[in-house]
Amino acid sequence: MNMKALKTFRFWGLAPTWLLMGLTLIIPIGIVAGVSLGDRGPYGGFDWALNFSSYREILFTMGWTDELEFDPKYLAIIGRTLAYGLATTAICMALSVPVAYVIANARENWKPLLVYLVTLPFWVSMIVRVYAWLIILGNEGLAEKAWKLLGGGDVDTFLFTPGAMLTGMVYSYIPLMVLPVYAAIEKLDPALLEASHDLYGNRWTTLRRVILPLTWPGLSAGAILVFVPAIGTVLEPMLLGGGKQMMMGTLIQTQFGGGRNWPFGAAVAMVLMALVVIVLILNARRAASAGKEAAA
Amino acid sequence: MKKTLLTGTAMLCLAAPAFADELNIYYWSDSIAPELIEKFEAETGATVNLDGFNSNEDALTKLQAGASGYDIVTPSQHFVKIMIDEGLLEDIDAKDLAAYGAVDERWKGQWWDPENDYSIPMAYGTAGFAVNRDLYDGPVDSWSVYFEPPESLQGKIASLSYPDEVVGAAELYLGVPFCSEDKSEMKKVYDLLMAQKPFVAAYSSDNIENRLGSGEVAAHFWWDGNVLRTRDAGANLEYAMPKEGLVGWLDSYVVPKGAANVELAKKFIEFMSTEENATIQYNYYAHSAPVKIDESQAKYTPENAPELFPTVPVQFSKACSPAAQDLVTKVWTDLLQ
Repeated sequence: MNMKALKTFRFWGLAPTWLLMGLTLIIPIGIVAGVSLGDRGPYGGFDWALNFSSYREILFTMGWTDELEFDPKYLAIIGRTLAYGLATTAICMALSVPVAYVIANARENWKPLLVYLVTLPFWVSMIVRVYAWLIILGNEGLAEKAWKLLGGGDVDTFLFTPGAMLTGMVYSYIPLMVLPVYAAIEKLDPALLEASHDLYGNRWTTLRRVILPLTWPGLSAGAILVFVPAIGTVLEPMLLGGGKQMMMGTLIQTQFGGGRNWPFGAAVAMVLMALVVIVLILNARRAASAGKEAAA
Repeated sequence: MKKTLLTGTAMLCLAAPAFADELNIYYWSDSIAPELIEKFEAETGATVNLDGFNSNEDALTKLQAGASGYDIVTPSQHFVKIMIDEGLLEDIDAKDLAAYGAVDERWKGQWWDPENDYSIPMAYGTAGFAVNRDLYDGPVDSWSVYFEPPESLQGKIASLSYPDEVVGAAELYLGVPFCSEDKSEMKKVYDLLMAQKPFVAAYSSDNIENRLGSGEVAAHFWWDGNVLRTRDAGANLEYAMPKEGLVGWLDSYVVPKGAANVELAKKFIEFMSTEENATIQYNYYAHSAPVKIDESQAKYTPENAPELFPTVPVQFSKACSPAAQDLVTKVWTDLLQ
């Protein structure tokens, strides 16, 4: 095959991928970006325009006294979303390492079953699973009974609290962390741990110098898989958190719905996407520099 | 070759228009009697697909996004007005339908559809709040119980996730006119809701039956007929009659512009409005019927359903100007920020 034919083949061979990416990914994002620059319609909807006021609105709004004032309320929502996303990621990581370790060290014929159990929740609709937590955390629910059994004092309710919301988020996204961490731990050669001990590395040193660097790709992949959907979450704050504190997901929903301000909703969505992209870039750079180190 | 043929057929199927005998309805969740849907399917041979919404805003947003695929939607009066003004509805000459003859005179020629071109009323009622009498035994004769709750209700009240009727109720309580464009008045509404917030357990429009019926909360913002149905099912609820008044609503059948099956949609509206079927619908939905029903078969009367026969003034929600709507949104986002 000569060079030209190869090039043509490459072009047409990849064309379906480009087409799919363009139609399902790039064009929709372009539309959202376009809406965020549009003029809002009086009752929702929008007109195409080049209007940056939706982005300005994230920082400055009309106050109750008719003055344009700096208003940190949307920044607070963005900050809260990031904080909950990070907390979810951290808790998922802390919980999934031991789980993944147990699965990786289980008897060979048990492993497929255990991995299957981890993925089992995905077969049930997310909404149903979050509703189940309403029952578990609700009045006279499992959580309250267990709490009392353990000698805890009288509780009003576990529902509609930040803790309930965080519980729901950790529950929803933890399988996304367990699987890559499991894959990383599974590949860890026990001989390397032995070697570390032979070289007088204590447990801490072994963890820090051997286990963490070798499982890092799994941990970071899991962290991204959890963090990205966690900052876009809508269900858990609404159902388990009681909708008392807005997150970016609920803010976007409100703006497209009751707020009837689509450009502003789209602008917040673009900010959310920018945050995700920043996280992905940071991770890619990290992976690249780690790769260089390994090569050197 | 076979594969190409198969793919070709599959694509043809996808490209074919929706089946002529399918009716897609977007309605308030569980608001139409299932037995009537079955009966309509049996009578016409059509397939009815139902999709539920929990707020007028959701319905409006979906229609605005275009190509919703629905043949019938059932928004409330102020949203009917907005949808007509925004050109989102099909002119179905509602006044020429037989169903129009069944409509109570008081709902004809109203401000949201003055020429009766677009809508046939489906149900009407009020929005207020209900209390669980197992948990709260105090008075419920004023919105003050809800907005400035006594100690026994603090932390035990729930609101809706959308501002629409909640802000309306707060306005009734404060004596602020609906859709006020006056910032100082709306600031009062905001202050009231903000002072109430520490006592609110949840802002949620889903799953209200459960939350209030099971006693998760003791008071909930809600609609008359839903309280009635849950009370009938055995929950010890009471629908409050606040002296400041209740927020009124009337839902109508409308047909979105460009609906695939306008004729079938009209047929369904006619079907739902016959005296026999409207009675079945009334007995199921438990909200007041704006069309003629068979009183002798009606399940709910002023004696057993005080919810449906308010003893206090009822003020219907209006279609706010964009400026007024912005203030409502500001109240809500500032409240939940």
